[in-house]
Amino acid sequence: MSYTYSESQPALDPSQNRYGFYDEELKKFNWNMLILEFILFGIGIWNLMSATAVEDKSLGLFRNQLIWFGVGMILTAIILMIHYSFLSRVAYIVYFANILLLVAVLVVGKSSLGARRWIGIGSFTIQPSEFMKVSMVLCLAKYFESHRTVGGYGFKDLALPTLLVGVPSFLIMLQPDLGTAMIVLLTFGTMMMFIKIKPKVLVTLALIGLTAMPIAYKFALKPYQKQRLVTFVDPMSDPKGTGYNSIQSMIAVGSGQLFGKGYKKGTQSQLNFLPEHHTDFIFSVFSEEHGFAGCVILLFLYLIYLMNGLQVAFQSHDKFALLLVVGLLSITFWHVFVNMGMVMGILPIVGVPLPFLSYGGSALITATLGVAIITNVANKKFMF
Amino acid sequence: MAFLGQEEQIRELQDRFRFLYAALIVGILILFSRLVYLQIFNGEKMRQYSEENRIKRVKMSAPRGMVFDRNRTLLLDNRPAFDLEMIPQYLKESKKSKETIILLSRLIGLREGAIAAILEKMKNQPSFIPVKIKEDLSREEVALIEAWKIDMPGVQIQQEIKRTNIYGDVAAHLLGYIGEVSATELPILNKNGSDYKLGDSVGKFGIEQKLEDVLRGEDGEKLVEVDALGRIKFDKTRGRVLAAEMEKLATPGKNLVLSIDQDLQLAAVKAFGDRAGAAVAINPKTGEILAMISRPAFDPTSFSRGIPTTLWNQLVSNENRPLHDKTIQDHYPPGSVFKIITAIAGLEEGAIDDKTVFNCPGKITFGGRTFHCWSQHGHGNLNVREAITKSCDVFFYKVAQRLKSVDDIAKWAFYLGLGRRTGIPLGREVAGLIPTEEWKRKRLNQPWNPGETLSVAIGQGYVLTTVLQLANTYASIANGGTQYRPFFVKRIESIDGQVISESKPEILDQHRLKPATSSAIRDGLFQVVNQQGGTGYRYRLPGMDFVGKTGTAQVINLSKDRVFAKCENMKYRERHHGLFAGFAPASDPEIAVAVILEHGCHGTNAAPIAQAIVETYLRKFDPVKYGAEAIAARAASEKEAQKTKWVADQKVKANARAAAAAAAAAAPSENGSTIDEDVNQETSDVLPAGGNPE
Repeated sequence: MSYTYSESQPALDPSQNRYGFYDEELKKFNWNMLILEFILFGIGIWNLMSATAVEDKSLGLFRNQLIWFGVGMILTAIILMIHYSFLSRVAYIVYFANILLLVAVLVVGKSSLGARRWIGIGSFTIQPSEFMKVSMVLCLAKYFESHRTVGGYGFKDLALPTLLVGVPSFLIMLQPDLGTAMIVLLTFGTMMMFIKIKPKVLVTLALIGLTAMPIAYKFALKPYQKQRLVTFVDPMSDPKGTGYNSIQSMIAVGSGQLFGKGYKKGTQSQLNFLPEHHTDFIFSVFSEEHGFAGCVILLFLYLIYLMNGLQVAFQSHDKFALLLVVGLLSITFWHVFVNMGMVMGILPIVGVPLPFLSYGGSALITATLGVAIITNVANKKFMF
Repeated sequence: MAFLGQEEQIRELQDRFRFLYAALIVGILILFSRLVYLQIFNGEKMRQYSEENRIKRVKMSAPRGMVFDRNRTLLLDNRPAFDLEMIPQYLKESKKSKETIILLSRLIGLREGAIAAILEKMKNQPSFIPVKIKEDLSREEVALIEAWKIDMPGVQIQQEIKRTNIYGDVAAHLLGYIGEVSATELPILNKNGSDYKLGDSVGKFGIEQKLEDVLRGEDGEKLVEVDALGRIKFDKTRGRVLAAEMEKLATPGKNLVLSIDQDLQLAAVKAFGDRAGAAVAINPKTGEILAMISRPAFDPTSFSRGIPTTLWNQLVSNENRPLHDKTIQDHYPPGSVFKIITAIAGLEEGAIDDKTVFNCPGKITFGGRTFHCWSQHGHGNLNVREAITKSCDVFFYKVAQRLKSVDDIAKWAFYLGLGRRTGIPLGREVAGLIPTEEWKRKRLNQPWNPGETLSVAIGQGYVLTTVLQLANTYASIANGGTQYRPFFVKRIESIDGQVISESKPEILDQHRLKPATSSAIRDGLFQVVNQQGGTGYRYRLPGMDFVGKTGTAQVINLSKDRVFAKCENMKYRERHHGLFAGFAPASDPEIAVAVILEHGCHGTNAAPIAQAIVETYLRKFDPVKYGAEAIAARAASEKEAQKTKWVADQKVKANARAAAAAAAAAAPSENGSTIDEDVNQETSDVLPAGGNPE
């Protein structure tokens, strides 16, 4: 794991950004994350073809998904060719640009199903809140790279990060997109726990959270959001109404039994008993058709993905890179956990896509960006 | 605060990785255990839930029974009808909605705005549900749309089996129509254990309603795969979980064979043209109804398929009341047609005999009131046969005066089926009215005025009869006094043609007329149609012995000066009704018929309708006997016979004269009266020598 220095080349300055690949880098290229990405996306597109096979759904959704994945691959190539420390430099610029986009959503955004989450660009739409997660992780990584401490961070250290997270969370809540805001907060929380904060800060935050919850329930949540929470506690309280999705998706997952009903033979999804089954409820399609066996394989793939990512973070010798990777992984983890938990009825229904499987361009591109950055970090670890 | 280097920082963070791994493992384990719980422990239950979700019982409606006439001509059928539908979703996706609607409006002759309005109205339902644009397309429209279909995304033709009255408005009132069960009808229909549901088809009028139990089949049900919105999937490849034997096939309703003869119906409709009225023809030997027509009518098919408001309003506001069954739901004063009853009462009660002669001076005064004959100049002396022939009012006034009371007329009217419901299984039959003294006392709380008996005698006053009653009464007269219950269902058959039940004639009442009464009445009716000067002479049927009586019934009370005014000059609604009742052939009647022509002015105008029915029937009944050639041959031989008889008569007369002359001196004669009687029977235009002076 050493970089062989060649006399014929000028001495390398680690802080200087190089474009392109080093020979060594190519030889020892870490393909793990990219391979996992391709496997997961392959399953995703295959599953999406089943989910959108119903006659009355307009066909070709999986083609859009392929196009977005292509866009993601181009971005991946670009990211692999630059040094990740470049990201550290542009972190705040990216962050503010993203904040502007979030504001733009609220002003000129397209609404669908009662929420304003998208901005139209040509015939495509983008969802800035998806990218916000990455931007926020970039910012936090940069912030904590330069702010170093012993014995954990105190209130003063956390003021700016809280603001950095609070502003976009608030903007996302306004859309409203409870799911994404939740992911943002969970990711922030994970990173805070990871970088070690002072116990008293932790206790205070926990108290604030506990008191904020009922207040938020009372004032901040819209009636339909409250209803979702009620039906989460007791889905049968309104089986034809808000509890319907939860019950139908649980039936879908459970009816998959050990080996599933077979590809494109899931009755719950193919007969439209499941709403939104190609986006947030995509896992119910997969689990219905491929059963426990398929689900375990899928779960295992995510586990390997996350473990592999943690390995990369662990081996990194750069605090920024380490925090960046951990943050990105925690985004992915929470997506998987919240989405599957929601589909299986252990979490309330919030709109959170399943990485690589759910239909949706912004989420897919965000996921490929994550893989690209992690791979970049994995390949640059030899340079110190 | 010591400032740590990057390496130490990294090392410290690396220490914390175990927490991350732990959290990751815990998270994945939570998801894994939930998977186990749902898919392994509850998998079977969930699988069943999902099956119940997608399997739905779907009703298969049973076709209603078909209705045939006596010759197995199909009258009521279930036929494919074509509706035009549009699926808004496809229309929208094609991005050619405007062009499509323009093209479609040209093809089916509906305004673009109208099509857009229909689509707009259905905007709230899911866009994949087809919207009905136009019902009952013609074959041409179907062909046009099929040809242009490629250019009209989202446009489709839906075939549906619908109840169809094949002959349109012919026999509309008899056959009736069906409709959807409404919320108010539901409890009534299901009172005795039926299983109607909202939106099912149920008979609402006529045979469709009254024979609902026969015509209605038994709905089946099948299990189909549906999606969350209840749309049926036709994919047969998917494995079926529930057994196929849970399907129940629909049992079609039973078929009806009516006693009605469609040819008679069509002949009657043609004879009526656009005039209003009703006609009933009955077989006097059984009581089966051969024709039953009420005009104007409506097309029941449009009712069965949900009648448009405009058409409904049109029907309701029509002053000729097309929705009314004029054969049984309306009663009319029978007018002169009723005189036969008076004649029968007189003859049977012994008030007159067939030789009794009354003089008609044109009017008589009774109880201080003048009763006019329709002929202002009077008819002179006439017997009962001539009185019927000439429809002399005064003769029947005098019969009435001789009878004990109006109850004698009422008795025979009742015997022959008037004044009471026939019990035909159709809706809202009225009883008509035959007044009696008791009736007036009870009903109007007034004593009977003997003068009113005179009005009753000529079918005016309180007397009201339905057309069906008149036909049945004349059928009874034709068969000599047997009153059958009129019926129209000949047979009930199963779908494969097995006879399930067959109707038998049912005698309601039997009061045999004296042969003398029968022959007198028959002769009178014969002369009405077949003797020059008879009111129905124009509509005689040579060789068919068509006999009958015309009648004219005043619609409103007319002042004296207007009684003799020309009817055709009056306002339509004030014109008299024209009636005709009769039967044929006179010697052995096969068909009795009664016709009312509303505001037809004279009975003579109703006669051709009866004539058309009778002629059609007899031609069909015995094509050999009533064929044109046979009739001509019979006429020729009759003429020959008459000639021989005339010659023989002349000889007899000459001989008689000679004998009389020879015997004149010797003894007073008895022969004179014999000869007179003989002549009288032949021609009826010479008074018998011993006629009763009155």
